[in-house]
Amino acid sequence: MSLLMMSGSGAVYLLAAAGIIGIGVYGLLSADHLLRKLLAMNLLGSGVLLLLVTLASRGGTPDPVSHALVLTGLVVTVSVTAFALALLDRLYRETGEIRIDAASDDPPDPADPADAKP
Amino acid sequence: MTLALDALLALALLALALGAVAGAALFRSIVMFIVFGVVLALAWGRIGAPDLALAEAAIGAGLTGALLLVSYRRLVRTTPRRTPRSRPAARLALPLGLLSAALVLGLGASGFGLEDTTTAGAGTVAVPSTAGQAVLAEMASLPLDNPVTAVLLIFRGYDTLLELTVLLAAYLGARLALGGSPPLSARSAPAALPMVGALLAIVVPLSALVSLHLLHAGSDAPGGAFQGGAVLAAAGVLLVLSGRLRAIGSAPTSQRLLLVLGTLTFLGFALAARLVGAALFTLPGMWAIYLIESALLLSIALTLVLLFAAGGGLAWGRE
Repeated sequence: MSLLMMSGSGAVYLLAAAGIIGIGVYGLLSADHLLRKLLAMNLLGSGVLLLLVTLASRGGTPDPVSHALVLTGLVVTVSVTAFALALLDRLYRETGEIRIDAASDDPPDPADPADAKP
Repeated sequence: MTLALDALLALALLALALGAVAGAALFRSIVMFIVFGVVLALAWGRIGAPDLALAEAAIGAGLTGALLLVSYRRLVRTTPRRTPRSRPAARLALPLGLLSAALVLGLGASGFGLEDTTTAGAGTVAVPSTAGQAVLAEMASLPLDNPVTAVLLIFRGYDTLLELTVLLAAYLGARLALGGSPPLSARSAPAALPMVGALLAIVVPLSALVSLHLLHAGSDAPGGAFQGGAVLAAAGVLLVLSGRLRAIGSAPTSQRLLLVLGTLTFLGFALAARLVGAALFTLPGMWAIYLIESALLLSIALTLVLLFAAGGGLAWGRE
């Protein structure tokens, strides 16, 4: 089974989904700002949903079960995002930090003014 | 020609995703993400998923974008900017990202491969090979014409009920995380601006109308309670932003009832079917579907607005 054997549009969106998921994983690991991490997580989810929808329409008539599943996925994603933002809000109130390296074992650098709590 | 359009959309998606992840300024990243959602909605329209295109535009791009922007307003303005340090995870990020992309590509390609083998054997096998084909085969015996709504309310009602519960749990979780304290006030536009009132007078009734249309259309065309609820929630978000509605610490009883109305109505019909001897989640007819969808729409819209306003309830006017 090679990419060339698929219908053209299907292959294009499959490549896009793979690229978006790759970018999402990269962003999730490389971002230090938690809001940016959440953004990458949302991208990752969108990529997965795009993969599902692309596979759902491979046979010509789109598969309604996959579409309903993706619709559920969209609502769950926005729920998770809103909950995560509430957690971020609380974290910011408690610690004044919204970057991941403040919470890790990396001690704050006193010479770096950016490490001072606002 | 159509392939060129798909390729253009795919390239735009990749460029916007990259911009959202690697952009220098966080604000620009959020805007890139919102545009990404809009382009994704176009792509889903192209793949033959208009229901999802509507939901993505309203929920994925619209409400998630509004949530991110209001959080940016609350959280980021005081955080100093600095260059990111290299962390062990960050050094692994690029290879792991590439690996994930390759893995997904392999999975997707084999998924397309599966389809080929089932169509090759379809002549000999009489039963539908996927759940989706089974649904499409059953559609003629249903009063609905939109297979996605049929799956949501008739074939997989349990999933939809749990999806509503997740939304409710997110609201409760957010209330717990914020500790019941009054929300950090995001500065809203001055209510006295004449253009704001004129805009609201047009947009809010129009949103309500579109949301009702989506609800009604959902039975035989793209649309449904989730898309309609999101559009209605967008009107609520506008009212919050312009200071017409404000978040308060705890919800009055009427709003608490409205929050659980969708879940309770759906659950009530599901259990009532059991009482009269039918299978769980058997709905008595189109009127039940409309009733459930209307209840869902109201609950979804209120929950989404409350998640946006980061409050327990809503009240009219300014503090």
